[in-house]
Amino acid sequence: MSDQPDETGKGSHRLRFGAGLLVGTLLVAAVGHRLLTSSLGETARFGEDRRAVVSLRALTDVVARAGSGEAIRTVVAGFAKWHPQVAATRVVLFDGISLDASTDSADTGENAPPRRLKREEKDLYDRGQRLRAAIETNRAEGGGRKDEVEKERLPDGSVSLAAPIERDGEVVGMVEIRRVPPPPAPRPSLLTTLSYVVAPVLLFAVLALVIGERRLPLGVLAALLLAGTVWGYGAQSWAKLSRARTALEADVAGQVKTSAARAQELLGTLAATAAPVPETPAPETAPEVAHAVPPAPLDPASWDSDAFRRPLGLSDGAGRVDEAKVAATLEAAKTAVRQTTILLGALALVLAGFIGLGGLAALLGTLKTHRVAYSYVLPAMVGMVLLVFFPFVYGIVLSFTDQTIYNSNAPLTEIWVGFKNYVSILTDFRVAKTAADGGLVFNYQNFYWTLWVTIAWTVTNVTYGVVVGLILALVLNTKGLALKPAYRVLLILPWAMPNYITALIWQGMFHQQFGVVNQVVQMFGMDPVSWFEKPATSFFTAWATNGWLSFPFMMVISLGALQSIPSDLYEAARVDGASRWQQFRSITLPSLKPALVPAVILSVVWTFNMFNIIFLVTAGQPAGSTEILITQSYKFAFEKYQYGYAAAYSTVIFGILLIYGVFQNRMTKGTEAI
Amino acid sequence: MSLFSSRSRAGADEPPHFPMHVLLVLATLYAIYPVLWVLSIAFSGKQSLAIADVPSDPTFWDRLRAVIPWPADVSLSNFSAVFADQPFATWILNSAIVSVATTVLGVFLACTAAYAFSRFRFPGRQSGMMSFLVSQMFPGTLMLIPLYIILVKWLNLGSTRTGLVLAYSTTAIPFCVWMLKGYFDTIPRDLEEAALIDGASPATIFWRIVLPLAKPAVAVTALFSFMTGWNEFILAATLIDKETMYTAPVGLRFFVGGFSQQWGFFAAGAVIVSIPVVALFLYLQKYLVSGLTAGSVKG
Repeated sequence: MSDQPDETGKGSHRLRFGAGLLVGTLLVAAVGHRLLTSSLGETARFGEDRRAVVSLRALTDVVARAGSGEAIRTVVAGFAKWHPQVAATRVVLFDGISLDASTDSADTGENAPPRRLKREEKDLYDRGQRLRAAIETNRAEGGGRKDEVEKERLPDGSVSLAAPIERDGEVVGMVEIRRVPPPPAPRPSLLTTLSYVVAPVLLFAVLALVIGERRLPLGVLAALLLAGTVWGYGAQSWAKLSRARTALEADVAGQVKTSAARAQELLGTLAATAAPVPETPAPETAPEVAHAVPPAPLDPASWDSDAFRRPLGLSDGAGRVDEAKVAATLEAAKTAVRQTTILLGALALVLAGFIGLGGLAALLGTLKTHRVAYSYVLPAMVGMVLLVFFPFVYGIVLSFTDQTIYNSNAPLTEIWVGFKNYVSILTDFRVAKTAADGGLVFNYQNFYWTLWVTIAWTVTNVTYGVVVGLILALVLNTKGLALKPAYRVLLILPWAMPNYITALIWQGMFHQQFGVVNQVVQMFGMDPVSWFEKPATSFFTAWATNGWLSFPFMMVISLGALQSIPSDLYEAARVDGASRWQQFRSITLPSLKPALVPAVILSVVWTFNMFNIIFLVTAGQPAGSTEILITQSYKFAFEKYQYGYAAAYSTVIFGILLIYGVFQNRMTKGTEAI
Repeated sequence: MSLFSSRSRAGADEPPHFPMHVLLVLATLYAIYPVLWVLSIAFSGKQSLAIADVPSDPTFWDRLRAVIPWPADVSLSNFSAVFADQPFATWILNSAIVSVATTVLGVFLACTAAYAFSRFRFPGRQSGMMSFLVSQMFPGTLMLIPLYIILVKWLNLGSTRTGLVLAYSTTAIPFCVWMLKGYFDTIPRDLEEAALIDGASPATIFWRIVLPLAKPAVAVTALFSFMTGWNEFILAATLIDKETMYTAPVGLRFFVGGFSQQWGFFAAGAVIVSIPVVALFLYLQKYLVSGLTAGSVKG
């Protein structure tokens, strides 16, 4: 309240810059803290995953070298003893579809391995087959596209990993491990973060007292303090992150080393137990027991690998970290941190400047002066922005991405494809091709086919509506006609019916076997028509439906216009000896124009977007040949789940309507001028 | 006498009425045939979409019988079954709740915004009104995908009435705002100024003076909002996949869509759903027409 008399003046610069600095530093601290927390968590998860992969790869390598099922169980038991972080291990061999070893608590007693997989365990088998298929695909393509180590995060935060067992270059089985949930990731201290807000603001308060109410020095001081805060927080975050990453690398390298030692030890046990009993191998693995060539030595350096089992190469097998390579990977992370810091700093600076230089005060002033008006508009505007304008913009943004149902959780920047969707929609002119027998075969999915159907649909429907509506209006406008109100009400009925009901009714009436339309056709001795099996007849059904429901609108509009024509005009014309046709042309038609032109414009847009009729009557049958643009884009979105492509398709529709709107606006203006 | 004179006066250049009646009767038959058809299926008591059974070797008259919209046996069983055996009552209730909520919310939002646009001059007024108008041109499917993502994935409002109400009331806003603003503009300001001098607050003026005066326009807006909610099909079909949450349009489509062929249930349901809107529409259509054309002339 104390600055109330100050309102006409400039207010306190100290207060405004102080507030700007406070908001700026708060923004930096809040966003920075969140980003740092999530980055640290991500690093911890990354390390956890890599350790898991290392132990899993070590285990699969040993299992691959174990001949019999008994040997595999020995290996798995030994592995479980050394790895308390692994909650359960299961080994599946495809030959015999068997579970050969398991430390899962469910697989004891009568479920104890070895046994055939059960029907409910199909997922497990499928997972293995997926891995086998992925490896074959990757090999055939000579690259990494499908995961060769599958990773699935379970609801409790633990990870379930699966890797293939390969023998002589062939995938013969799978090892699946489930890790215990990892300890919570380290979180940055909230107190430290808060000090990045308190310190600069306090410093500013002290220095501002010294500087006094001088705008420029105050502004420079606030900007410098803010920049310092941003830089400081960025540097601090980077230090924390890089420390975590370095520690992680050392840790993973150590894990590789211990895993190597233990794997060697397990192999030693195997050799010892396998030697005395070579004549009693498990029946289903018998052919694999004798390796044609002695197995290659273990390669621990390759265990620390990505999802395609390509070694990361950040350490050797003996626990030494390759510092140069680690530094190179850190460089990318460092650039990301720097960019984020700069972006955040710029944002905070703009915000602080806006508040400090009085922009906020001016904005608040406007809001205050017109607060009543704004409070009345606000609810509707919020609704419109959230559920109309934002979706519209979001839809346009989506049209530049490759979003489908499968990647709908991916950030948009990752699936950004630029104008690719538009190019593939608009530059594909292969509407028709010549078939073997010389006839034309149309590609009904092509944009230009659908566009042509839509235009034909719109033009024929609007023409029909105008002609029928106008004729009925002219007849109804006859003076002294009996029963006029009754006719009028009954003729409006098609417009009053909900149009989805109309569509379903007509769809039923066009039924091939029981429909009324075919009864009439047969009444005259013709064969029943399968309406929905040919593009032309299918189009006709939708057209007949829409024609039925659209003529009353034109009739009502025309009738209103006709009734407003003064009758003396006709009498004067009669006196001058004008014929009825001349009267119609020079009096009736010009008077109808002001009402009919907007009605036609409106009706064109309605028909162009008449979703329900096409969707419910023909549903695009046959083979999508009778889709119009709007139903086609729906099919792309909700039947083929190509959200990005469908959004681009809809944006094209919007573009067409926009061009039509601008064009007709100019046309009507032009005709008005004449 | 008067009849004779009117004939003699018009006889010279007015065409005779008889062919006009023929034309109008034919047109009326065309207009009401599908309605009669759905009525006769509804009252047939059967699920078949044939009005009458056609014998295996039908004559012309058998065919004609199958076209005349009068059921072979009049029965109410479809109506009772649709409520007793099918969840149609739930669907109608859903539709009614959604439509009424849409009406209340839509009319409230539209009234306040239209009043501000009509009575106050403030920065952003022009662009605000223009943006409402332009939003009418957004194609439905372009909105459908983001709306689906926002309502179902982000707000978790899939298969709820709330999601539908939010979407419907906002889509109805622009038309209602323009319509109401036009009406508010015609209400003289003297009354409000007098009330202001008497010390009434803007809220009192709005609620106690302007709104009661604008009752006819509010009624049309309410009708429009109600019909938006009652007749909408595709958004409901997209957002709702739980059968108990269907609205009546989605439910009716459920009867005869895909491989389902329960035409009797569909027809009975269609009759029940249509009666209120058709009655309302016929009663209020002239206001709707003037509202539509006024909007389009301005646009």
